[in-house]
Amino acid sequence: MTLPRAPLQQILTKYPPKESSLIMVLQDVQDAYRHLPLELLVEVAKALEVPKAKVIAVATFYKAFSLEPKGEVEIRVCRGTACHVRGGLLIMDEFKRLLGIEEGETTSDGKYTLEAVNCVGTCAMAPVVVVNDTYYGSMTVNKLNRILRATKSSKTADAAREETE
Amino acid sequence: MHLTSPEALKRLKSQLVRQRKENKSVITVCAGTGCVACGCAAVSAAFREALKENHLEEKVEIKTTGCHGFCERGPLVVMRPEGIFYQRVKPADAKQIVEKTIKQGKVIEKLLYRDPQTKQLLTYEKDIPFYNKQERLIFGMNGHMDPTSIQDYITLGGYQALGRVLVSVHPDEVIEEVKKSGLRGRGGGGFSTGRKWASCRQAEGEPKYIICNADEGDPGAFMDRSLLEGNPHAVVEGMIIGAYAIGSHDGYVYVRNEYPLAVKNLNIALAAAREYGLLGADILGSGFSFDITVSRGGGAFVCGESTALMASLEGKIGEPRAKYIHTVECGLWEKPSTLNNVETWANVPTIIEKGADWYRKIGTENSKGTKVFALTGKVNNTGLVEVPMGIPLREIIFDIGGGILDGRAFKAVQTGGPSGGCLPESALNLPVDFDTLTEAGSMMGSGGLIVMDDRTCMVDVAKYFIHFLLEESCGKCVPCREGLRQLHEMLEEISRGEGGVGTLDGIERLCSVMEQGSLCALGRSAPNPVMSTLRYFRDEYLAHLEAHRCPAGVCKALINYSVIEENCTGCVVCKRACPAEAITGEKNQVHKINSEICTRCGICLAVCKFDAILVE
Amino acid sequence: MQLTIDKRSVVARKGEYLLEVAQRNGIEIPALCHHPAVEPWGGCRLCMVEITHPDWKGWTGLVTACLYPVQDGLIVSTDTKKVHQVRAGVLDLLLARCPGSSLIQNLARQYGIEETSFTPRKAPDLCILCGLCIRICEKIGASAISSIGRGVEKLVSVPYETVATAACVGCLSCANICPTGAIAFSESEHCRTIWSRNFELVRCEECKAVIGTPEQLEHFARRSGLDRSYFTKCDSCRNREAAARFVRVTF
Ligand SMILES: Cc1cc2nc3c(=O)[nH]c(=O)nc-3n(C[C@H](O)[C@H](O)[C@H](O)COP(=O)(O)O)c2cc1C
Ligand code: SF4
Ligand code: FES
Ligand code: FES
Repeated sequence: MTLPRAPLQQILTKYPPKESSLIMVLQDVQDAYRHLPLELLVEVAKALEVPKAKVIAVATFYKAFSLEPKGEVEIRVCRGTACHVRGGLLIMDEFKRLLGIEEGETTSDGKYTLEAVNCVGTCAMAPVVVVNDTYYGSMTVNKLNRILRATKSSKTADAAREETE
Repeated sequence: MHLTSPEALKRLKSQLVRQRKENKSVITVCAGTGCVACGCAAVSAAFREALKENHLEEKVEIKTTGCHGFCERGPLVVMRPEGIFYQRVKPADAKQIVEKTIKQGKVIEKLLYRDPQTKQLLTYEKDIPFYNKQERLIFGMNGHMDPTSIQDYITLGGYQALGRVLVSVHPDEVIEEVKKSGLRGRGGGGFSTGRKWASCRQAEGEPKYIICNADEGDPGAFMDRSLLEGNPHAVVEGMIIGAYAIGSHDGYVYVRNEYPLAVKNLNIALAAAREYGLLGADILGSGFSFDITVSRGGGAFVCGESTALMASLEGKIGEPRAKYIHTVECGLWEKPSTLNNVETWANVPTIIEKGADWYRKIGTENSKGTKVFALTGKVNNTGLVEVPMGIPLREIIFDIGGGILDGRAFKAVQTGGPSGGCLPESALNLPVDFDTLTEAGSMMGSGGLIVMDDRTCMVDVAKYFIHFLLEESCGKCVPCREGLRQLHEMLEEISRGEGGVGTLDGIERLCSVMEQGSLCALGRSAPNPVMSTLRYFRDEYLAHLEAHRCPAGVCKALINYSVIEENCTGCVVCKRACPAEAITGEKNQVHKINSEICTRCGICLAVCKFDAILVE
Repeated sequence: MQLTIDKRSVVARKGEYLLEVAQRNGIEIPALCHHPAVEPWGGCRLCMVEITHPDWKGWTGLVTACLYPVQDGLIVSTDTKKVHQVRAGVLDLLLARCPGSSLIQNLARQYGIEETSFTPRKAPDLCILCGLCIRICEKIGASAISSIGRGVEKLVSVPYETVATAACVGCLSCANICPTGAIAFSESEHCRTIWSRNFELVRCEECKAVIGTPEQLEHFARRSGLDRSYFTKCDSCRNREAAARFVRVTF
């Protein structure tokens, strides 16, 4: 399968073709393609005149990047300190159990990706879970079930929240 | 609008202030990430709708502001000018607020805040203990302005310090003023900001760079996020003043990847500042030029470290390098560079505006000004608090924070993030400043304060931080990379009750090698969470090792779940919830947990409404 | 400028690092991630020494000699108790990482360690992550290998064969610089294998000794600006030829 090149071309025109643009370009590629496909990394390397090996080093060093495609629903469970002491671990364990995957994995149908993040900056509402771009605070096991149910019927963020309150 | 002189800026301000005076009541809705998470967008929309219905759009203004700090109670709504404080506001409440409070001046009781200690209902923001012990030098503006409006910032006096500096203060004098103010870096190290600027100004080499560290990697701290989201212009103004003082024309802000709203608001602020002639070429007609580029971090804690951050800005992997030659001489692209934290930059306009002498009056002998803390964990009021340096920890936790959640016993407070430590009850009277915290074996760090109660296990906390650092170590140097691997292994053993007392000596030896041998401060301070818990909670380690017990009931290998028969009502909630199907019992009969099957996941404890689950 | 290393007075030039100066004066400091062919890096932390200065009011510091710039009047001690402790700790950790490396075993023994006091790594290889191979590969202009990942998971590799092996010229610089022999390669009559890739071999026109792979010679020609035909003989044959020419002219 070849990937559409237009988004990449557009990203590349946004930044000056030099090494210091690398991380920003990869951020945009990650957003546009939901991962960093190897074939595109080769093109990024060529365009920015950075050795391919260096591109790979950067792509694997930073957590924002993933070489594997991410699921349609990206669940990020906060594992920051505030969330940890308020029971974040339990939330993570329950997601793992319900989705049948480990941290960092994607379900085989490509629907869910489960990830741990170190603090999303809403510690006052610990424990916190971010589903795609929606934040859920004061998480409980019950709320978690409702969130999963809402994502199955792919409701909008606000509707899902109404339901979980 | 393009302002071409400081006078034009002053005129604009007076004009805006005049307009505001004749203005109307304002409904301020907090729209920081915390309140967004509670659904404040829907609340604002509901207000807009309600005002329209009552034909009040012209008379009442809705202002969506940055974080007010009391995120726990979000969505927050403050009615100004009265200052009536409503909390946990739902979209459905908007109509009532408009009809009752705005039209009839009546207060809606069910939305007021109840002081958990006195059980009193409090109407006004200024009466709430969470706020009234604070000194909101840096953070105060947040609740009064729309962060996406440069006019709001200018109305509140913004950019006036910059205007004055550009026409009438020599760069050396700016640096003298900052030096004299005693401002120390808020990013953790506490280095004198004025001295840093002076070295960079004197350093040879062009161009010089100004960088704002907004990587905020410390899990449990979010003041930099809230500042950038809620008052980005203060940071921008601070950076422009710094650039002028140092002689730099290029600035960077390195923002943590997980902070999309901060990036958005910052970009809006930069565009507005350019449009108003406050950023870019020939700022306010002074001939001085400076611009700022925003860079999103890639998601690596180590990139908060100065040299790693600079490597990352250059497009490389974030590996630190030796700093025997300082970054003020040889930093970004090997040029002189000044890196300061978000909060440090945000202090600058206030210092210039009000003067170093005024600023010096706040704080302690060696730590001046205020510090914003992120108060979280097992405490009643969580959120951001800004207090003068030197205030005792006890006041922050018990007066502002309202004490420990569920009335449990205080055990420790973690300060300084992964490089800091856990302080016990006996340290609660210590004044909070850079040096006192370091002496006590912890650190000021970026200002995370995580409160822990008797159900928090100190071995688990130490293990948690070491695991965090293990994942975040860049892997360049041996003591940090291999040391963390081993340290984590040893703590795992302790939490399983394995190993002997000798393990503790081994840990201490290893920690000393990491402290002295690691390349950067990540590795050098990595032992702190372990050493501080060993120093203050050695007994808890010994309980794991000798009695094979986890007193806090956390370490899975050493605990058992059982049902407290007197409390169990046989409601079957836990039985249904238990994923391992380890709970048996008929409805209305006392339940039983089979500890052979039980995985110690804790779900029964979380769902039981009758305190009938015992962990020991 | 003048400084003192282990009570000996030595001379140094501005811009030099302590390790170079010590080595030049025959003072031994162990170092695993340092090589004169590449820039100093400071990763292994073995070259720690203790420094002080008459102006420092008794303050002393532990620094890595490979990266510490010389300074007039500096007093350096390469074998104090503190230095010994840190080096021993580092070697103990490295031995847990690479229990099979004879180099590490020998160094550790010099610091009194026969066996690691830590938990040895499961499935250990010989890589100590000193970064020399990556730096030399970059230096010769190929940049074919890189670190992958970070922290404890970090490893060195040719990333994703189809993508980047194209950059490897098979010159063996990495394998030769590796202090522990962690980079495997093999050579037969006509073929060299490294990083799971096979290369043809070019032999000297005269003596038939191996002079490299076609990709490597191409690369060197391009980098040096010399003609490709320069790279048809081995160094010793070329030298012998030059010497012969020299003899003819002078006589
Ligand atoms: C591992 C590590 C992480 C750090 N993270 C941050 C951070 O997230 N934000 C920050 O401002 N400083 C951080 N620092 C401190 C910076 O290196 C630097 O000292 C600071 O940004 C300087 O600014 P200041 O003088 O205004 O504090 C970190 C340091 C280390 C060693
Ligand atoms: S101390 Fe840790 S984070 Fe710092 S350079 Fe060494 S390995 Fe990297
Ligand atoms: S610790 Fe979870 S949001 Fe900060
Ligand atoms: S040789 Fe100096 S740190 Fe490795």
